[in-house]
Amino acid sequence: MEKPLTRNMLPGRGPFSLAEYEKAGGYQALRKALTTMSPSEVTETVQQSNLRGRGGAGFYTGRKWSFVPMGEDAPQPKYLVVNADEMEPGTFKDRFLLEGDPHQMIEGIIISAYAIQASVAYIFLRANYDVAYRGLQVALAEAQAKGYLGENILGSGFGLTLLLHESAGRYICGEETALLNALEGKRAIPRSKPPFPPVVGLWGKPTIANNVETLCNVPHIIFHGAEWFRSLSRSADGGTKIYGASGKVRRPGAWELPLGVTIREILEEHAGGMRDGVSFRAVLPGGASTDLLTADHLDVPMDFNAVQEAGSRLGTGTMVVVDDRTCIVGLVHNLIRFFAQESCGWCTPCREGLPWLTDILAAIEKGRGEPGDIEILRQHTHLLGPGNTFCALAPGAVEPLQSALKYFEEDFERHIREQRCPWK
Amino acid sequence: MPQLTIDDHPIEVPTGTKVIAAAEQLGIMIPRFCYHAALGSVGACRLCAVMFLDGPVKGLQMSCMVDAQDGMVVSTTDAKAVDFRRQVIEWLMLHHPHDCPVCDEGGHCLLQDHTVSSGHAIRRYRGAKRTHRDQYLGPLLQHEMNRCIQCYRCSRYYQDFAGARDLSVMQIGNKVYFGRDRDGTLQSPFAGNLADICPTGVFTDKPSRYMGRRWDYERSPAVCIHCSLGCNIVVSARYREVVRLEARFNPHINGYFMCDRGRHGYTYTSAAGRPRQAIFEGQPADVDATLQHAAERLTSIARMHGLAAVACIGSLRSSVEAQGALVRLCNAQGWPAPAFFDDDERLAAVQTAVAQQHAQVHVSLRAVENADAVIVAGCDPIAEAPMLALALRQAQRRGATIVVIDPRPIELPLAFQHIPLAADQLAACLDDLITRVGTVAHDPGALETGSPADPLAAAADLLVRSRRPVIVCGTDLPNVAAIRQAGKLARVLRENRDSGLFHVLPGANAYSAALLNRGRSMAQVAADIAQGAVKALLVVETDPFHHLPNRKRLTDALARLELLVTLDYLDGPHTRKAHVFLPSTTIFESGGTFINQEGRVQKTAGALQGGTALRLVSNTHPPRLYGQGIPGNQPMPAWLMLSALSGESAFGSSADILQWLAREVPGFENLKAAQPPTGEDLLLDSAGRSEIGRHCLDVTSESPLNPPNSGGGLHLLSTERTFGSEELSCRSPQLIELESTPQARLAPSEARRLALKDGDRIALAAENGFYETTLKVADNMAEGTLAVGRHCHPDWPWDGRHARIADRSIKKIDQRETKINP
Repeated sequence: MEKPLTRNMLPGRGPFSLAEYEKAGGYQALRKALTTMSPSEVTETVQQSNLRGRGGAGFYTGRKWSFVPMGEDAPQPKYLVVNADEMEPGTFKDRFLLEGDPHQMIEGIIISAYAIQASVAYIFLRANYDVAYRGLQVALAEAQAKGYLGENILGSGFGLTLLLHESAGRYICGEETALLNALEGKRAIPRSKPPFPPVVGLWGKPTIANNVETLCNVPHIIFHGAEWFRSLSRSADGGTKIYGASGKVRRPGAWELPLGVTIREILEEHAGGMRDGVSFRAVLPGGASTDLLTADHLDVPMDFNAVQEAGSRLGTGTMVVVDDRTCIVGLVHNLIRFFAQESCGWCTPCREGLPWLTDILAAIEKGRGEPGDIEILRQHTHLLGPGNTFCALAPGAVEPLQSALKYFEEDFERHIREQRCPWK
Repeated sequence: MPQLTIDDHPIEVPTGTKVIAAAEQLGIMIPRFCYHAALGSVGACRLCAVMFLDGPVKGLQMSCMVDAQDGMVVSTTDAKAVDFRRQVIEWLMLHHPHDCPVCDEGGHCLLQDHTVSSGHAIRRYRGAKRTHRDQYLGPLLQHEMNRCIQCYRCSRYYQDFAGARDLSVMQIGNKVYFGRDRDGTLQSPFAGNLADICPTGVFTDKPSRYMGRRWDYERSPAVCIHCSLGCNIVVSARYREVVRLEARFNPHINGYFMCDRGRHGYTYTSAAGRPRQAIFEGQPADVDATLQHAAERLTSIARMHGLAAVACIGSLRSSVEAQGALVRLCNAQGWPAPAFFDDDERLAAVQTAVAQQHAQVHVSLRAVENADAVIVAGCDPIAEAPMLALALRQAQRRGATIVVIDPRPIELPLAFQHIPLAADQLAACLDDLITRVGTVAHDPGALETGSPADPLAAAADLLVRSRRPVIVCGTDLPNVAAIRQAGKLARVLRENRDSGLFHVLPGANAYSAALLNRGRSMAQVAADIAQGAVKALLVVETDPFHHLPNRKRLTDALARLELLVTLDYLDGPHTRKAHVFLPSTTIFESGGTFINQEGRVQKTAGALQGGTALRLVSNTHPPRLYGQGIPGNQPMPAWLMLSALSGESAFGSSADILQWLAREVPGFENLKAAQPPTGEDLLLDSAGRSEIGRHCLDVTSESPLNPPNSGGGLHLLSTERTFGSEELSCRSPQLIELESTPQARLAPSEARRLALKDGDRIALAAENGFYETTLKVADNMAEGTLAVGRHCHPDWPWDGRHARIADRSIKKIDQRETKINP
C-alpha cells in the first residue's frame, strides 16, 4: 500500500532536511512541472487526478484552479494562500504533515503557484503550531537558499515569494474569505460570495486558498501522474487520505490510508478498537462540525460521497469517537460552546443563536432543562441552516446537534425528565 | 433593466439594484438593520429575508444581498420569511434591554418598530442579559452599548464612509463591542450622524437627552445655514426651544448626513442672552414705535448730512427676503447700496466665483462624489464646508484622486495629494495647469517630458486622463485671479470631458449677496464712518465685530456715529452699542429662502413659534407659565421690519420680495419660474446673463497672476476652522467643547530660520498691538506662510483677514516671565 504523503516520516526523528528530502526524490516533481509542463498542463493533470480539497468542503482542486484568470490580461499579482489554520476540534492531520515533512508542502505550494501563475504565496499557520512554525522557518530558508523560492526558479523564469504568517488564533480564520481579511489586517469576517476568491481574493486579486493536505498531494500527482493517483484510492476520489481517530479508542492517532476505507476499518484495525470497559456509541466522522453517525454506519466508506449519503460529511476525515460512557448532551454542549465562542459576531443567527443553544444545553446538562427546550434546539438546527447565515460556521456548528437529536433524542428527554445528567 | 414581481407588483429597476431597494421603490419597506442606502449591503443582520418563489434565485434569501433579475417572483409576506424575520428579532431581543421608557430613541427606534411589527412578544430565553460598559464619547453623543444589536452601521459609517479611525469594532461572538479604545471625545466632525444612523439607542444625541419624545416635538424641514452648502435638515423644537437637528435626505446636496457644526450650531436660537426686546434711547419699547422712531431718525440724518451719510450692512446669514428687503429699502430711500461682504477682496472673490458659475459648468455636492479627479484649490474643505470633505471621501472611495493645492496644513478624512503652495502663487499655479492640460490634450507625448517628481505634472496628467474632473475653489484664500483661473481650468477641461466647477462661498446666502452687492464692503463702510462721511449705520443680522478683524478700530469708528440701528437675533457688541435695537427672528422661527453656493434655491418654513424658551421662564416640570401674552415674542422677521422702514414701498409678503428680485435684479430671474418656490430643483443661473456677468467682472477688473513681491517676511493668513470660526455655531456650548486651541502654523524650515520651535508662545506685532498665540510646526504646509486659526472673537490687530508680516515682528514669549524678549 503506497503512502506518498507520509513516506518521509520516520518514527522517532524530525522532518527531513532539504538534502534528505531531495535524496528521497524530493523536488523532482517541481523540476518536472517547471521544466517540462505548462501551467495549464499542471492544472489539467490535477483535474484528471480527481483530487478533492482536504480542508473539509471537498471541492475539486483542479477545477478551483481553473477559475483563475490566466494570460497576459489577468490581474497581477495573483496569490496562493495555504490554509494551515487547522482549528477544527478533533483534527490534527495538517499538523502531522506540517511537522513531519515541511518540504513536501513547500514543493506542492511552488507547483500549485506555478499552475495558477501566482507570484506570491502565504502560509496562514494556526497560532500555537509552534513546532510546525519552527520547522517551516528552517525549511523555507533552505528552499530559498537552494533557489526553489525567489526569482527564476530552476531557470524556468517563474518566480515565487513564499511568506509564513502566523495567525492570531481564531477558528473563523479557517474560513477562506475570513482568512483573506485577516491576512489583509482586517477583522476576520467572512466575505460575501460571489465574487469568489479565484477571481477576487486577497487585496482584490485572484487568489487560490488550498488546505495543507491538498497541496501535499500535488507533487506526487505531478511526479507519478493522474492515473497513478486515482489508483491509490478505493473510491472515485483520487489519492490517499490522512485519517485520524480520537476519543476512547485504544490507539488514537492519524494514518495515511487509501481514500474510501470504512469507518470500521479505521476504528478497529488502526485505532485498535474501543478501550476496555467502554463500547462504541457514535462517531463524528470528519471533525466537530459534522453530523454524528452511529453503529449502523460503521461500514460506510470514508469518502466524500458515501459519508454524505449516510447523512454526515467527510470533513477533515479525522474522527471523534464517542463511547457509551460519554454524555451526548454534554458532548454537544461542549462543541456548541466552542462554536458560540468562535462566532465572528457578524451575522445575527450565529452570534445570538449559538450562545442561546449553549445556554439551553448547559441547562439541560445541569438538570435545569424545561420541556420546551428540545423544540427550541430543533428549531435552531433549521434556523441556523445553510443560507440563513452569512457563512458556513453556524450550519456546521449545529450538525452534531441535529444528528444528536435525530439519533439520541431520548438522552435529552431523560435529562429533562430526571432533572439531572444520567451519565454523572 | 430587469423586470421582477414583488408581492404581485411588477417593477422594472436598473441593473444592479438590490431586491430590497426595488421593493422600496414599490413602497414596500422590507425590515432591515444593517442595510442602509448610503452604506450598502453587507448581509449581517439577516432581517431582510424574503422568499424567492420563482426565477433565477429560489428560497429564503436576504433581499439586500440579491440583485434584482429578470423573472424573479418575490414574496415579502411568505409565512417562512415572516417567521424567520420574527426569529431574527427574537435573537436580537435576547440581550436588548427593556428600557424603552427611558431610552431617548424610544418612539423613533427602528428596533422598536420591527419588534412590534414582527409580533415577537413572549420571551423564551431564560438567561441573563449581556451587559457592557459604556464610554464617554464627548459632548455630542451618549453611548449605551447594552442596547446594541450589532448591525455594524456605526463602524461602517464611521470608518468606511467618514474616514475616521477612533471608533471601531472590538471582540467577537456575542461580545462584539462598538466604541473607542478608551473613553474620549469622538474625533470625527461627522460623529453626530451616528445618532441618526444607529437603528436603536446606542448612540443618542446628548444635548437633547431626555428633552422629549419624537411626537412631543414640533418638527419641520429646514436648511442648514452654517456654511454655504445648504445641507437639508429636520428641526425638532419643544417648549419654544430648538432641541435637536437631524440630517434630512437631499439627493443633490448632503445625501443622508450632515456635519457636527451644522447639527449643533443651533443653540443661538434659544440662548438665554438672545435679545428679544426692541430698544431705543436705552429703554425697552414697542417694535412699531421703535421702527417709526428709527425711520424718522434715519430720514432726518439723511436730510441733514445727505443721503450718503446713511450706510447699511447686510448679512450672508440672512434670508434672501431680508437681503432683498434691505436692498429695496436703500433703493427707495436713495441711500447707498448695502454692504454684505467684509472686505473688498472677499467681495470681488465671491462675485467672480458666482459670475463664472453657470449651469454648464457648476456641479452639485453629489456630483463631486462621482468625480474621478478633483483639484481643490485654495480651500480647506473640513473647515470651510465640512460636508464637502465627506463628499471628497466618497469620490476617493470610488477611485478618484484628490489633489489639494493650498498653503495650509490641510487635514482630510481621506488619502489625498497635497501641494503646499503659497496663497499668492495659486493663480499662477492654476494657469500652469491650464497650459499643461491644453498642451497635453493636443500632444499626448508632452507629459513624458515632465519630471515624474513634479506634482503639478502629475496633477495635469490626472486631469488629462480623467473623465469627470471637478475643480473646487474657495473664496477665503484665493484672490480674484486664482478664482478666474480655476473657472478657466474647468472650462478648458470641459472641451472634451464632463468637467465641473464647485465654489465654496463664505456664508449661507453669499450667492445671493454677491448678486445683490452693488456697493462697497463693510471695511469701506467702517472707513467712511471713521472719516466722518457716514453718520448713521443700519446693521441687519450681522455682527461687524465678527467680520472686521480689527475690533479696536471698529469700536472707535462706531463711537463717531450719530445713529446705530441694529436688527438681529444675536447678542453682541453690535446690539449692545446700538442706539436703536430691533429684535429679528431666526430661520427656525420665520424660515426664509436660502441659495447655496451652486445657486440652488431652497425655501424653508419656520419650525416653532417665537418667544423665550419655556425653560428660561418657568422652573416647574412640565413647564407652566400663566399670564397674558408670550414672553419674548417681540422678534419679527427682518424683511418685515425692513419693509416697514421703507414706508410706502413696503412689501406685503415675503413672496413679493422674491418676485421683486426676479423682476429687478439680474441673476434672480429664475425665482420667477417657481410659483411659489418649492426649493429642491430650482437653480439660479448666471449663464448668458451678460449683465450680471459683466457687472461682477467689472468689479473684479484684471488682476495680475503673480502679485508684486512684497519683500520677504511671512504671509499671515487668518484661516477658518471647523468649530469656532463661523458666526452662529461658535456660540454653541457643545461645540465650544470641541474647539481646538487656535494655533499659528509654520513650516519647519521657516521655524528653523526664525529659531522657533513647536509649542513656543509667540507674539505677532502689528502697528497697533500684538497677537499672541502658540506655534505649531507643521510639515505639510507652504513656506513663507503663517496660518492662524480664526477665532470668533480675536484681538486681531491687522485691518485685513490676511497680512504681510516681517520676520522681526514675530517674537518669542518667555513663558516664565510672560514678557516679550527683545
